[in-house]
Amino acid sequence: MSAAAGYDLVVVGGGSSGCVIAARASEDPARRVLLVEAGPDPRPIPDVIANPKRQGEVILESPYVRLYEVERPDGSTFPLIAGRVMGGGSSVNNLSVIRPLRRDFDAWARIGGEAWSYESLLPTLRAIEDDPDFGDQPIHGRGGPLKLVRRWKLDDPADPPVEALMAAAEEMGLPRCDDLNVPEPFGICASPYNEVDGKRQSVAVAYLEPARGRPNLDILADTTATRLVLEGSRVTGVELLTPDGPRSVAADRVVVSAGAYESPHLLMLSGIGPVDAIEAAGLRVRHQLDGVGRNFQDQAVVYLTFQGAADFHEEYLIPKVRLIAKSNAALDYGDLHVFLHPAITVRGLAPLLPVSVRLLDVRSRGRVTLASPDPLELPAVDPQVLADPADVRAMLDGMRFVADLVAHPRMAPFYGDLVTPGAGEDWEAFARASHITYNHAVGTCRFGPADDPLAVVAPDLRVHGIEGLWVADASILPVIPHSPTNVAAIMIGEIAARNLATADAAAR
Amino acid sequence: MKLDGRIDVAAPPGAVWAVLIDPLSLAGCVPGVEAVRQVDDRTFEGEISAAVGPMSADFIFRSVIGRADFPTDLEVTTTGSDSLTGSTLTADVHAGLEAPDAATTRIVYRADVRISGRLAILGDMVLRATAGLIIGEVARCLRARLETAAGPGSG
Repeated sequence: MSAAAGYDLVVVGGGSSGCVIAARASEDPARRVLLVEAGPDPRPIPDVIANPKRQGEVILESPYVRLYEVERPDGSTFPLIAGRVMGGGSSVNNLSVIRPLRRDFDAWARIGGEAWSYESLLPTLRAIEDDPDFGDQPIHGRGGPLKLVRRWKLDDPADPPVEALMAAAEEMGLPRCDDLNVPEPFGICASPYNEVDGKRQSVAVAYLEPARGRPNLDILADTTATRLVLEGSRVTGVELLTPDGPRSVAADRVVVSAGAYESPHLLMLSGIGPVDAIEAAGLRVRHQLDGVGRNFQDQAVVYLTFQGAADFHEEYLIPKVRLIAKSNAALDYGDLHVFLHPAITVRGLAPLLPVSVRLLDVRSRGRVTLASPDPLELPAVDPQVLADPADVRAMLDGMRFVADLVAHPRMAPFYGDLVTPGAGEDWEAFARASHITYNHAVGTCRFGPADDPLAVVAPDLRVHGIEGLWVADASILPVIPHSPTNVAAIMIGEIAARNLATADAAAR
Repeated sequence: MKLDGRIDVAAPPGAVWAVLIDPLSLAGCVPGVEAVRQVDDRTFEGEISAAVGPMSADFIFRSVIGRADFPTDLEVTTTGSDSLTGSTLTADVHAGLEAPDAATTRIVYRADVRISGRLAILGDMVLRATAGLIIGEVARCLRARLETAAGPGSG
């Protein structure tokens, strides 16, 4: 297709939302669509991405992630991780297919209205998936693009430490939960994963691949959107930095789907956002929107590490069993994910066995802002993880739950004494100094009504005050779900595609 | 990442210092450290082999003694990188020796460890736990070696 003709739709970001939007929008042959991805689009998909057993390598060794180094209060640093390859997070995550909880939809509907309720979006969740185990149930789907598999089910044999964990958790009152995607999952859960015949089903595979041959869909990889082109209060195109140099494309509509770090980054580079952030970078404010970059949320993760009495060969980061537990018995929902991790072995030392506590409730709010007017420089991220005292209290309760769980007699053959935090160490200081995150950043372009001072987009995902501009990725969620965010991001892609089609129909 | 603590050894400060200041001697007390070689009187190198689940890596380091004022200050700066992610680690370790009573030497240590690169994804968890175990082993080894050597009749 001739780029000179311009596009009906440019999608910036080939992640879990953007690939869905590009695929759905190009189903209409009359709509000319361009998908822009900053990272590569390697085909055939390299084994390090496709092979679930190599997920640890994707994160630790591959060029397909981008790291945002952030500081803890004590000055130590750790990286936040985002996918930077076609498929985005779905190409580098641990493949789990976990829906937001009903209470998350309730929270979104309170801000965004009925369109964000569980009942309204259940048909979308069902349409996304192809669930071979529960697909016939009213809350599940068959035949959708995303193939699920439960490689292991709760009644299948497991490694002795996993069996011990399940027995200990059951004796501590956690129920068995065969289906992690019921509206309010709780207890000892077997995770579903998106793979077929041992190959990862990222959105690049499940959604984009079948759309690639369409004459009305162009794909530009290794291409960074550097600025949105605005005429008055209307977006008219995007400036790009392609492998062949700078290029500008005209568009009737632009959807920014670059994720919770890069979507607010592109808006601010384009002069859309808080005045202080834009002017501090020496750029001109085109449209003040105070919520851009604010309201950052990610779930805190703290590891407790025990002396190991036995080696342990679980796959790194892809647990068989995910415990959904409560930090406080009075809660009516699970606010923790707990995983066992494989042994750390240092030659000459006894093995160490880490157990992670992942706090799903997030009351703390951070910020993404401009570090530089140069679009190739990363934005600055101040995540403020565990900044809220209630988050710290819940994390400490979660750590105590794990310590009690591991001290259960069933676990004794495998797990010895707690090594870190060490004897006499202040657990709060330990959590503040050693936490990382679950890497599920959301919130930095949150939806809400126009009179909400922190709302960036309307509940239908159009940017407030700019015609033709939409944001559609996890950044639009005003409140982080009690789950990983890949399914939510795919759902947001489906919602955006539907809303764009409705807008097109209205314009005709 | 900051680590601090103390190790009490029932031996005179001079004997404890002599082990700490001699890399080859100290290395015998640090489990996991292999292939230690002395480069000059203040510099030594070595390796640590570690695995996290299915991924294994060698960590190659160089340590330089920056300050050695008996018995109060020993400062060692260690830099290194791992073979898996190419991340770098810098550790500034300060150890001071105190004598809380005539029969005891107290090693008071503090370390400031900085990791850059992807190792930091796992780094805090792996390093804190590994450091916790290693320090425990070092304490046991020093006691076993020095408390026997400094036993009755050894002066």
